[in-house]
Amino acid sequence: MRAENYEPKQHPPSHEYELNFGPNHPGIEGNYALKVKLHGDTVVSARADAGYLHRGFEKLMEQRLWIQNIALVPRICVPDPSPMEVAYSMAVEQLCGLDVPERAQWLRVMQLEMSRITAHLFYFGGHAATTGMYNPMFWGVADRDLVLDLFEELTGGRVYCIYNMPGGVRRDIPEGFLDRLSRLLDYLESRLPEYDNLFFTNHVLINRAKGTGQMSQHQALEWAVTGPNLRATGLQCDVRRDDPYLVYDELEFDIPVEQGGDALARTLVRRSELQQSIRILRQIIQRLPSIKGPIRAPIPNPLAWNVPAGEAYVRLESSKGELGWYVVSNGGQKPYRVHVRGPSSMHAVQVLENLAKGSRLEDVAQIMFSLDACPPEVDR
Amino acid sequence: MKEFPVPVQTAEDPSVKKQSGNIFSNVFDELVRFAQSRSLFMLHYCTGCGAIELPPAMTSRFDMERLGIQPMVTPRQADILLITGYVSVKTLKRVILTYEQMNAPKYVIGICSCTVNGGMYWQSYATAKKLNDYMPVDLYIAGCMPRPEAVISGLRQLMEKIKIGEANSWQDYFKRYDYYLGNQQRLFGETWQTPTDIIGESKHYSLHTPETEGEHTRLLELHQRPLEPLEMRLGLSEKTEDR
Repeated sequence: MRAENYEPKQHPPSHEYELNFGPNHPGIEGNYALKVKLHGDTVVSARADAGYLHRGFEKLMEQRLWIQNIALVPRICVPDPSPMEVAYSMAVEQLCGLDVPERAQWLRVMQLEMSRITAHLFYFGGHAATTGMYNPMFWGVADRDLVLDLFEELTGGRVYCIYNMPGGVRRDIPEGFLDRLSRLLDYLESRLPEYDNLFFTNHVLINRAKGTGQMSQHQALEWAVTGPNLRATGLQCDVRRDDPYLVYDELEFDIPVEQGGDALARTLVRRSELQQSIRILRQIIQRLPSIKGPIRAPIPNPLAWNVPAGEAYVRLESSKGELGWYVVSNGGQKPYRVHVRGPSSMHAVQVLENLAKGSRLEDVAQIMFSLDACPPEVDR
Repeated sequence: MKEFPVPVQTAEDPSVKKQSGNIFSNVFDELVRFAQSRSLFMLHYCTGCGAIELPPAMTSRFDMERLGIQPMVTPRQADILLITGYVSVKTLKRVILTYEQMNAPKYVIGICSCTVNGGMYWQSYATAKKLNDYMPVDLYIAGCMPRPEAVISGLRQLMEKIKIGEANSWQDYFKRYDYYLGNQQRLFGETWQTPTDIIGESKHYSLHTPETEGEHTRLLELHQRPLEPLEMRLGLSEKTEDR
C-alpha cells in the first residue's frame, strides 16, 4: 500500500461509560457493588451501591430479649465476629454495673486476639488473590482454619462462636488448650518467613500495591478512617492503647505503623499486627493459669431481665478498625435502641469512592480488599 | 464421610422409564448425566454469610476441586447457583436475574437455615424468607452456617441426584412459571420484569404446560416496557417507509 492511499481510520474520541462492578463479580468482597464510570480503563468516578446485605439488625435487636441478642450480634461482621459479641456484652455490663471477673476478661482478650489472627490471615488471602497470586490465598485460608479448629474446641462454633454473654464468658478453656494454642502460635510464626518470601516481599505485590489507593494522613482523618488503615498512614492510634478496655493495659505490645498510606502499607501493617497478636497470646498463655476465679458474674434470670435504664457506649479495636456500640435501655426486657458504628461503613463507602477515583479498573478490587471492608457490616 | 440417603420424590417411576425407548439412547443419556455430574461449575456469587465457609471448602483443606467442582465467574457458564444465606429483597432481584441467565440444566442449592425458613431473620423486614417460593431449589443444606464438610456432602448428594436423573427442579421453573412469577410480583410489585423470555424458552425445551401461563404472566405483557431505545425504533420505521 502506498503511503498516500493509506488513511488511518479515525476513531471517535473515547467516551465515558458506566460499568456495574458487582454484586456478582469475583473482584468484589462479598455482596457489594460499585457503579464505576470509566474513561478507557481509568476510573473517573465510583459510586458505592450498598444494601444487598441489609437485614435491619438495629430494628431486630429491639424486638428480642437482651440475652437473645447475643446470638444475633456476631452475624453483623462475618469475617471477624468476635469483637461484636464482646462489645455488646460490655455495653450491657456497663448498663447493669456488672463487674466481670478477671479470668473472664483474660479469656475475652484471648478470643479477640485469635479472631484478629483469623481476620488478618483471611485478609492476606483476599489481597493476594486480587493481585493475581493464588498461593497465599490457599495458604491463608488453610492456616486460618487451624485457628478455627481451636475456636471450635473452645466454643463449639467455627466462625460464629457465641462465647460471651453479659457478665462473662460461657465456659472455661478445656484441658490442654493452652498447649495446643502455644503450638499453633509456634507454627504460625514459623510460617511468617514463608509468607514473606511468597507474598510480602514479592515483586508482584510491591509493583502493584505500591502507590495504589494512596491517602495522606490528613485525608484519612477527614474521612474517619480508623484501625490498621489509619496506622498505615503513619499515625499511632489504637483503642487498645488509647482507651484500654479489658486487660489490655496489663499486656505488652507495640502498635505497628507504616508511612506509605497505600495498599502495600496497609498489608504490611497487618502483617506486623499478626506478630503482635501472637505476642499478646503468648503472654496470655503465661498468665492465664495463675488467674483463678469464676468466669462469669451472677446475672438475674435472663428470660425476665430488666436492664436498668440508661445509655452505654463501648468502643474497641476490631481487626477492621474502631468499633463502637451505643445501647440505650429504658428499663425494659429488650433494648430500646441500638446503634453500631462499624468501621467498614466508612472504609467501603466514602474512602473507597475517593480512592478508586483516578485509579485503574484492575486496581479497584485491590483497593477494596486492601481497605479490608466488610459488606455485611456496612449494610447491617 | 457418612452418607445419608435422601428421600427424593419423583413424578415418574424410573423403572418404567428405563424399559421404554431405545437402549442405546438410554446408555447415552446415562453417559451424559455422568459427565454432567462430574464437571460442575459453581457461580461465584456470595449472597450472605454462608459464603465465608466456601473459601475453606474450595481451597486446600477440604478441596472441592477433587470432586470436579470449581467456581465460575459468569452465570451463563455456570451450572450451580449457591444461595449462601439470607437473601434480602434487593439481592433476590439479582439472584432471579442471574438464575434466568443460566443455561439449563441448572441446579440451585440453598445453604444455611435462612434460605429454608428465614432462620435467624424470620422477623426481619428486609429479607425474603423461603427461597423456594421464588425459584425451584434442588437441595437445602441446613445449619447456621453449615460446615465445609456439610457443604461438600450436600454437593455430593447433588452429584448423585444428577447421575440418576432426579435433579430436575430447573424444569419446574418452566412448568410452573406463573406460580413463581406471582410470588415475585407480590414481593417486587406488579411491574416486575426480567429480560429473559421464560415462556419462549419453555416452548423451546418443550416444557410448556397450562401452568406456565396465567394471570401473572398476563401482567407481564401488560406492563412490558420496550427494550430498545426509542431512537432505534424510529430509525427502523423510517427505513421501512422508505422501502
